[in-house]
Amino acid sequence: MLQTPSRRHAVVSETRHLLFTVTPGAAWIIVFLVLPSIYLMAVAFMTNGPYGLPQLPLSLNSFEQLAGVGFLGWSPGNLYTLLRSLWQTVVATGLVVLVAYPIAYYITTCRARWRPIMLLLVVVPSWTNQVIRTFGWMNLLAPGTPLSNLAEMMGLISPNMGLYPSNFAVTLGLVYNFLPFMVLPLYAAFEKLDTAQVEAAQDLYAKPVRAFWHAVFPQTLPGLLAGVVLVAIPAFGMYVIPELLGGGKAMMLGNLVATQFSGGSNWPLGAAGAILMLIATFIGLFAMRRIGKRLGGGEEVVI
Amino acid sequence: MRKRTLKRSSLRRALTAFWWLTLIFLYLPLAVVVLFSFNAANSAARLTGFSLRWYHQLLGNEQIIEAFGNTLILAICSSVIALAIGCLIGYGMYRHRHRKLGWLIVLIYLPIVLPDIVFGISEMAFFVQFHRLTGLLQPGLGTMVIAHVTFQIPFVALIVYSRFVGLDPSLFEAAKDLYATPLKRVIHFMLPTLKPALISAFFLSFTLSVDDFVISFFTAGPESATLPIYIWSAIKKGVTPEINAIATLMIGAVALAAMISLVFNRQRKV
Amino acid sequence: MTDLTNTVNTADRAEVADTASRDRRGASSIRMQGLRKQFGRDAIALAGVDLDIKAGEFFTLLGPSGCGKTTLLRILAGLEEADDGQLTIGGKDVIDMPPHRRSVNTVFQSYALFPHLSVRDNLAFGLRMRGEPAAERNRKVAEVAEFIKLGPLVERRVDQLSGGQKQRIALARALVCEPDVLLLDEPLSALDAGLRGQLQVELQRLQKRLGMTFVFVTHDQDEAMVMSDRIAVLDSGIIQQVGTPREVYEHPANAFVARFMGHDNLFAITASEDNWVDTGLGRLQLDPAEQRDAPDGWLLIRPETLELGGNIPADYNRLEGTVEERLYRGSRIEYRLTVNDHPLTAVAGNLGQRMHDVGDRVTIGLCPEDLVRVAA
Repeated sequence: MLQTPSRRHAVVSETRHLLFTVTPGAAWIIVFLVLPSIYLMAVAFMTNGPYGLPQLPLSLNSFEQLAGVGFLGWSPGNLYTLLRSLWQTVVATGLVVLVAYPIAYYITTCRARWRPIMLLLVVVPSWTNQVIRTFGWMNLLAPGTPLSNLAEMMGLISPNMGLYPSNFAVTLGLVYNFLPFMVLPLYAAFEKLDTAQVEAAQDLYAKPVRAFWHAVFPQTLPGLLAGVVLVAIPAFGMYVIPELLGGGKAMMLGNLVATQFSGGSNWPLGAAGAILMLIATFIGLFAMRRIGKRLGGGEEVVI
Repeated sequence: MRKRTLKRSSLRRALTAFWWLTLIFLYLPLAVVVLFSFNAANSAARLTGFSLRWYHQLLGNEQIIEAFGNTLILAICSSVIALAIGCLIGYGMYRHRHRKLGWLIVLIYLPIVLPDIVFGISEMAFFVQFHRLTGLLQPGLGTMVIAHVTFQIPFVALIVYSRFVGLDPSLFEAAKDLYATPLKRVIHFMLPTLKPALISAFFLSFTLSVDDFVISFFTAGPESATLPIYIWSAIKKGVTPEINAIATLMIGAVALAAMISLVFNRQRKV
Repeated sequence: MTDLTNTVNTADRAEVADTASRDRRGASSIRMQGLRKQFGRDAIALAGVDLDIKAGEFFTLLGPSGCGKTTLLRILAGLEEADDGQLTIGGKDVIDMPPHRRSVNTVFQSYALFPHLSVRDNLAFGLRMRGEPAAERNRKVAEVAEFIKLGPLVERRVDQLSGGQKQRIALARALVCEPDVLLLDEPLSALDAGLRGQLQVELQRLQKRLGMTFVFVTHDQDEAMVMSDRIAVLDSGIIQQVGTPREVYEHPANAFVARFMGHDNLFAITASEDNWVDTGLGRLQLDPAEQRDAPDGWLLIRPETLELGGNIPADYNRLEGTVEERLYRGSRIEYRLTVNDHPLTAVAGNLGQRMHDVGDRVTIGLCPEDLVRVAA
């Protein structure tokens, strides 16, 4: 390989340019996010000291506590919380898909000039603060509201209980919160849909349902998967919605973790919970990349 | 382009109905908040009449005024810093996109994919310990700005990057070819071309900052409550109808932003 | 469609010649020596290019995609750094000079008009960057807009223009800077065939009128022949031949150039003696000037030089062939023949003569002076 002075100069100046542009941002994220995350992971392996602050020696105490081992022997409370988080994530994600899929399809069938407005209408509620949105649901589902009265009349809940706080309210809040996250990637997938494939399927005697299954659904799969990751990962770590709509019996992992820090009671336990969330996050991302690569075009939908 | 495939009138009617139901679902909670903010009664369950008393009370509440100020300061400071840093990194990613920058991509996506709560407690644990060791970075607006910039940088970087990727690469060369020095290329070519991207990146950063609760909550100090934090603690303490009024104002701001973005999009198309 | 050169009518010829000679003094020659460029570990774009381009010449770099012609152009513009070699423009060494300091402008293949600027600001961009005073700038922009007949469009935004208009603006934006050398990177490739043919003629006339040095890159040999004073044919980063369009077409330096210029009738020479050669077609007599010592290489027969049937002069080579296909192309008729199991193409101008039918046996006459030996 030729390495004349001018060429070497060019390589050096390009590298300097790369460093100049990328260093401030990269350093910022490393110092203020990567290092703190590493510290947090380390905390999980420390012992809980007075005031909830972590100290040496290293131990796996926090993980045992997360599994339910406490001063009074084993109790299933934390495990229930974990399972409930998983269950809520799965149910909410499933419901979001069921609502978002027809909505995304419907938008693509409308006139081109209406589509941006329709998308905006779907997205705008998520621009308001999460706390406010959840507060709105508290108002709607509280005992004595029309919705609660209706549920009471139908015998779905016991009198004067209201629809909130409950697991149902948390699921509803999650669906509400994450619907736009699913509509957008699905809409993008529908927008790119190659209608010739559908016509080909019909031409080859496929009935509507089969035409959908063979010609439409596979084309929307990358968008669907992107949506699932965008919904499921943050849903698993959700804090605000279960805290406000759930009450004690609908706690999720996010609340368990947050309590250890905000109450200042047990950092290592909270950190152990956070590690669990991190693992879930990376499994989700990894699965997404794998499936995305197999289907092709997975990379772009992540953005 | 209409998709003719499933175009059966009954199916289409069902879809239309479903669309309107979903819209009701999406806007009902917000509408309730707005409605109760004008409610004369002190109750969240019964409407008694129209009144502006909660808005009057807002003006007299110094904590709320202060929280509002904090929210604005936080959003503006963090967005400006994130814009500068994110812009540089976005351009760097574009210019060097043919190199292997996998580590950089992972780094950029990390703040986006990390669950809020993990993000928040990491920063909190870090700031608390850092403060204990050095006496610097006491939790407060400063630490909140740092945390917000951290989650805003990726969005700015990605917006700037995708704007550059959408450009004809020859434009950079045309600027060089037409006698523009490196500085002039930035002033007369890159910044003007980026302007729409910079505006939308700023607004997105601003919105993300105002929207955020969890990360703010964990990095805030005792004196630095923002509006979402104030609302949160008010809800936790027991709802006061004032909350509806602040919330309504914030919803109004979002509605305004939505209108602006709509008009802006329209203009760009013409 | 406005015409770039409507301004040049026959009455102005004297004046045009005068302008040309005056401007030519400003044009620059280009000298390249041993230019090399490599991308990555093994993609060699230029493998040592030596080339002299005269001042005021319309010079074309011709070759298939990936031959290095665009890389060479970008090195001239300063957009790419050569790994090795010398480059002087107008006698000045520019090899380490960044593009914004070179008096060289480029018309980009994609036009590269700045989308955030109006047509006027696009035209003025180079002058503004060079720091010319506003008054001077406005005068020059108005002049060039007038010159390319786009005066009414100057306030438009770039995305409101058609392809042909964009092409003109891109050209004007480069010309208004009055560069020593104008580089054109396949500027016509995005246009449809009709517009393209028209602009080929316009560009060529414009260059003669300005007397500026033009370096033009294309993969289209017809375009190259129509427009150029001289052509350099490139392949695999090496210059295969430099010459006038006629030299390159009629006397290609090697088989690659011959094929690239569109010649099909190439026959391996198996033996040669004095001015006789043996090929698959048979033993053929050449012009004594084509005599070579070595028996290698190829024999090129241009299809338009073949005589089919009729009166064939006595000193011509004679072959017997069969018509396999006849392609009627309006102005000419193309015959696909076989001679001794070798395919041979002949083209006859359509003068209303009787056409040969498929299956006919025909006598083919080859004038020795039209037979050209081509190196392997």
